[in-house]
Amino acid sequence: MSSIAEKLRVYTGLMPAVFVIGVFMIVPIMIIFVYSFLVAGDFGGVKPKFSTDAYVQLLFQKNLFDVSEFNPAYLIIAFRSLWIAVVTVLGCLLLGFPVAYYIASQPEDRRNLFLLLITIPFWTNLLVRTYCWILVLRDTGLINGALINMGLIDEPLTLLYTEGAVALGLIYTYVPFMVLPIYAALERLDVRLIEASRDLYANRWVTLRHVVVPLAMPGMIAGSILVFIPALGAFIAPDLLGGGKNLMLGSLVQLQFSSARNWPFGAALSMVIMAVVLLCLYAYARNVRKNGGGVQH
Amino acid sequence: MTSAVKIQALNKVYPGDVTALKSADLEIGDNEFFTLLGPSGCGKTTLLRLIAGFEEPTAGVLSLFGDDISTLPPEKRPVNTVFQHYSLFPHMSVFENVAFGLRRLGRSDKDAKARVEAMLDLVHLTDFAGRKPSQLSGGQQQRVALARALAPEPKVLLLDEPLSALDLKLRQSMRAELKRLQKDTGITFVFVTHDQEEALAMSDRIAVMSAGEIQQVGDPSAIYEHPENRFVAEFIGDANFLNATVAETTPSGTTYALDAGGTLTGPDQGRAKGEAVTLFFRPEKATLSQVGEGPNQLRCTVKDILYLGNSTDYWLALDHVTTLIVRSKNQTDGTVIADIGEQISLSLDPAALRILAT
Ligand SMILES: Nc1ncnc2c1ncn2[C@@H]1O[C@H](COP(=O)(O)OP(=O)(O)OP(=O)(O)O)[C@@H](O)[C@H]1O
Ligand SMILES: [Mg+2]
Repeated sequence: MSSIAEKLRVYTGLMPAVFVIGVFMIVPIMIIFVYSFLVAGDFGGVKPKFSTDAYVQLLFQKNLFDVSEFNPAYLIIAFRSLWIAVVTVLGCLLLGFPVAYYIASQPEDRRNLFLLLITIPFWTNLLVRTYCWILVLRDTGLINGALINMGLIDEPLTLLYTEGAVALGLIYTYVPFMVLPIYAALERLDVRLIEASRDLYANRWVTLRHVVVPLAMPGMIAGSILVFIPALGAFIAPDLLGGGKNLMLGSLVQLQFSSARNWPFGAALSMVIMAVVLLCLYAYARNVRKNGGGVQH
Repeated sequence: MTSAVKIQALNKVYPGDVTALKSADLEIGDNEFFTLLGPSGCGKTTLLRLIAGFEEPTAGVLSLFGDDISTLPPEKRPVNTVFQHYSLFPHMSVFENVAFGLRRLGRSDKDAKARVEAMLDLVHLTDFAGRKPSQLSGGQQQRVALARALAPEPKVLLLDEPLSALDLKLRQSMRAELKRLQKDTGITFVFVTHDQEEALAMSDRIAVMSAGEIQQVGDPSAIYEHPENRFVAEFIGDANFLNATVAETTPSGTTYALDAGGTLTGPDQGRAKGEAVTLFFRPEKATLSQVGEGPNQLRCTVKDILYLGNSTDYWLALDHVTTLIVRSKNQTDGTVIADIGEQISLSLDPAALRILAT
């Protein structure tokens, strides 16, 4: 009896969460899913007619004679986006780990201050912040200006509108998402384990590699996921710092809903990106389970 | 005797002006089972961490088999530690934990494997090699920590209260096992405990510490039978103290007049007549009898009786302020020597009476 009442109470308690997730996640995804199987309207929107054209369009293009032929253009964009997202993750790891390690090794009151500082960029609009990078990177910008003034170079270096600039912008944008989970993992790390390692003939670096990094791994993986997913679909940094010349997935999707007015194609692209991300997460979850639920503290 | 560990005028002051060690001098011999004993906060862990290299001395010299190691980082010292909370690496199996030090020393895989297996055999954990530390009981984790610290064959093994987290039965069997391990391996053990019974049972020599200072160093019986000061006498076992003045000195012994009344005679300890001293004897050194008033006997009133199983403690009032404890072996027939409120005679063997430095 009481177990039914218990269950009822649990479900009632869950209702707000179910409602929020339903309205803010499931419903939009369903709409995108449905739109991806419809036909584009003339001025944006969709016509209610079933079609798989949007998915076909991902890999094939109709030539002049109305024959479908393989078109790798979007595949190239996808791989470029994946590549830049991976570079972003690696960059955030390299930058985020030392920062997190440094913060975690500070006295407690100082740690909270540093964590607050990490979140400061969020107080300003992302668009504005990314524009600032243009000022830094452009031919007459801070870096080139400084280098020319010091007489190190005569001609400005091409920094802006490169893939490097895009990766830099993305690393800048997402590094806090890497720092926070790694910090959380390091903060829980028992310093006595580091002493035990030193006691057993491991110097600082060997200790870092064999004790600290493995124990911070859950945080590093969580951070990588948090960075990888938005980096893959980002469009502000690619547009502003990449100059829109080498399209990336995020920009491509955004383009379909704006000037290209091909909503079904944009929806199909979104679905594919989501499928790739879900596959990655699934692989991660399986890996964690195989390793006995990760590290125990 | 080569000393395995030698510390000279070693000082440790923590930030915030906390003096944890006050110019300590100590020599620990090779192959010795040496115990640091003292109450909580007296600086035992600090001394151990100084030897291991986790703390830097504020002043003083620390040498290991004659080499000054004061400035070496922990990984360069041929010393291993069994930590109080074991500190096993949670992401490694038991095997990997024990192999950790060997790998860092660059032992070949084959060598390391053989050594790890020998160590696990030594601590009876061969079947647990594949487990993670979280899948072990407290006692098993403790043994892994021991195997891990012994595997690289350190010259000195430091143990910081390794048994304190175990229950009584396990603790007793681990005591015997540790003692056996020390004898078998011939490694110098520096063992920290605040349990005096443990210290007496296991050690070759004991250093009693208090408030950052080493009070006395000696073998267990010297520490127990001949404590040098009141702190040592009180910290190890139970003790009776009596204030007295030297009444008479003869070649055969000295007679002391107790402040509480009566006299006691003990061995000559070179005190001058009229000097005020603190006398001390252990509760089990005295005997009780119903009758008699003779040399080295004191008439007391029984205030309290505590039955302890194998013995009974009698709390005796000598006068209004002086209470003495006498421990007497229990008879098989369960008879008691006296009841509460009765008058009784305490007799003390003169050889058991000591004078303490005040
Ligand atoms: N890192 C530190 N900073 C400041 N003071 C410390 C630090 N570590 C220890 N102390 C102080 O130094 C003194 C000795 O501490 P220590 O840990 O050596 O005691 P201990 O004898 O091991 O005690 P226990 O039996 O409780 O483990 C204590 O007063 C303690 O508060
Ligand atoms: Mg301690």
